[in-house]
Amino acid sequence: MTALSLKNINKSFGDIRVIQNINLDIKPGEFVVFVGPSGCGKSTLLRMIAGLEDISSGEFWIGDRRADQLPASERDIAMVFQSYALYPHMTLAENIGFPLRLAKLPKDQINNKVQEIASILQLEHLLDRKPGQISGGQRQRVAIGRSLARDPKVILLDEPLSNLDAALRLEMRIELAKLHKQLEATMIYVTHDQVEAMTLADRIVILNNGEIAQIGSPLELYQTPINTFVAEFIGSPKMNLFPASVNEKKSQKKSIQIIGSNDEFAVDTNQHPPQELQTGNQIQVGIRPEHLVPSDTGKIKGTVTSTEQLGSDTYIYFDSDTIKQAVARINGVASIRPGENICFAVAHEHYHLFTSKGNRIKPTVL
Amino acid sequence: MIKRSKIQTAIVYSSAILLGLVLLCPVLWLFIMSVSSTKDLTTLPLSWIPADISFNNYISLIGDFDSTSAESFLYALRNSLIVAISATVLSLSVAIPAAYSLSRLPGKRRSSLLFIAIATFMMPPVALVLPLYSAMASLGLLNTHIALIAVYCGVLVPFTTWLLKSNFDAIPIDLDEAPLIDGANRLQIIWYITLPIAKPALGAAALMAVLMAWDEFFYALLFTNDIRAKTLPVAIADFAAGRVADYGLISAAGILATIPPVSMAYFLQKSLVSGLMSGSVKG
Ligand SMILES: Nc1ncnc2c1ncn2[C@@H]1O[C@H](COP(=O)(O)OP(=O)(O)O)[C@@H](O)[C@H]1O
Ligand SMILES: [Mg+2]
Repeated sequence: MTALSLKNINKSFGDIRVIQNINLDIKPGEFVVFVGPSGCGKSTLLRMIAGLEDISSGEFWIGDRRADQLPASERDIAMVFQSYALYPHMTLAENIGFPLRLAKLPKDQINNKVQEIASILQLEHLLDRKPGQISGGQRQRVAIGRSLARDPKVILLDEPLSNLDAALRLEMRIELAKLHKQLEATMIYVTHDQVEAMTLADRIVILNNGEIAQIGSPLELYQTPINTFVAEFIGSPKMNLFPASVNEKKSQKKSIQIIGSNDEFAVDTNQHPPQELQTGNQIQVGIRPEHLVPSDTGKIKGTVTSTEQLGSDTYIYFDSDTIKQAVARINGVASIRPGENICFAVAHEHYHLFTSKGNRIKPTVL
Repeated sequence: MIKRSKIQTAIVYSSAILLGLVLLCPVLWLFIMSVSSTKDLTTLPLSWIPADISFNNYISLIGDFDSTSAESFLYALRNSLIVAISATVLSLSVAIPAAYSLSRLPGKRRSSLLFIAIATFMMPPVALVLPLYSAMASLGLLNTHIALIAVYCGVLVPFTTWLLKSNFDAIPIDLDEAPLIDGANRLQIIWYITLPIAKPALGAAALMAVLMAWDEFFYALLFTNDIRAKTLPVAIADFAAGRVADYGLISAAGILATIPPVSMAYFLQKSLVSGLMSGSVKG
């Protein structure tokens, strides 16, 4: 188990800055997930950690050793490629044993290790086959198996499940979580799928345009997203953002009113009087779909445009006065028709306040 | 599999047979000539089946060591083997790392390097032969194997480099990076990964190189002048240059000269089948 540390890491391809000012400490044995929309630089960051891509500026440390100049082969970091990158001319046993063969281990030791890995990954009966003769899920296992061969302290995985179908993806996700517990290795996992991130991670690093938007545990990101990007990225369906205005109240307190509704609630700005809550400011109120509860006395009103029945849940899409295609998520089957008017109530602790630019405001909602 | 109608099948097969006939007829005629007597070959009209069949021409080329024709043929065979194999081995051992670096390593100047190499390959031999001749003469290399090997390498290196580069290009870059992570250095990547995957291309390159060196006539004719260095094409031409051309003997030499490259092609054909890439990266 090894700690990794990234200090002020930058990466440019020509004039384009792809990674900007990344500061990140990864604890030994941690499962860290890099998540973000595609093109935000996740793979590039991972490849810099692996040593496949130079770092333009900044420092990278493995344990207490400066590693930005260390060649990939000397970092003791294993990697699972999105494309699997199996060696097509070798059998599965040779594929898994290849790192050990390069390390000049004796044949019988290689065989033992390959057998051990194959039994963890349930590949024993396939070891004599070539990659062309097995299924996608099995190839994925072989790729993971090869990364385990040298008992690496750090394992990097770049969207390892994105080529699998939904059922297999779920199965492999559970197995990966198990494997992480079993191996006690540090794992860095790249995905664009927030569900994978939420279910696997000890800590999630959300990237946007090459910068870290927020770092935190899955629940921290869900409960206190630092800006609207994170708020909309984490959670499915994504958070609704209603425009709102800041009003002055007599008793030195301020209230926030969601525009187009009579939903007005007081905030105590005494403890933290943020600039953003100046009277008259336009702000945004974020409400997660699962926190919108249909209620006849609810103050958020809209017209249902469509519904999606998932069996366990129902998604209700509605247009309010100010935003189109807002969505609410209701447990179980709800018999609501498009065209109906609907009202939702929201417990005030579920409000997320953001400035008009999208940064989180942290007042105490009363 | 696409199902074909009977008519389509018939057309495909008859075209294949026609092509086979066109390609094989001259070889067949060459063989018939080589076992016919001079009398049969000079009587008109020519007949497909000679009156009497004899293998004397073959015997005088490879059986009877005292005859001059056997001497020039066997020496030429030896020279051809030495020159073709050395030129092929040398040019491949240069072309493999060259092609790898052109295909994989960064740098804009590399690609213009390949272009220049290809351009020299395109130049007609007559344009180069005079300077090459005087260079070889002043180095004292005329009429040696080395002269021919050097000239052939000059032709073969650009060609095989280009052939291998376009094949290396087709191998996904992930298959270079994965072994790097697994702890391999560049040479190990080439040896354990790139070359085995590119085996069909390697076989094709070797075959083309051997054939080009084996068949080359122009430089061989000008740079060699006796049995120490003359290659088969030149030696065979010599048989025709005497006062009376012995067509039977020439044909027999021609048949014998095709055996080495044909057998090489036969042994390489297994490695020439492609499809090695399947299953490596996501399908
Ligand atoms: N070798 C490269 N040269 C130039 N631009 C690159 C290169 N690799 C990646 N990029 C650019 O860097 C950005 C981030 O890419 P990447 O890390 O692959 O994103 P992600 O994995 O998050 O989808 C993209 O805009 C991509 O076009
Ligand atoms: Mg990527």
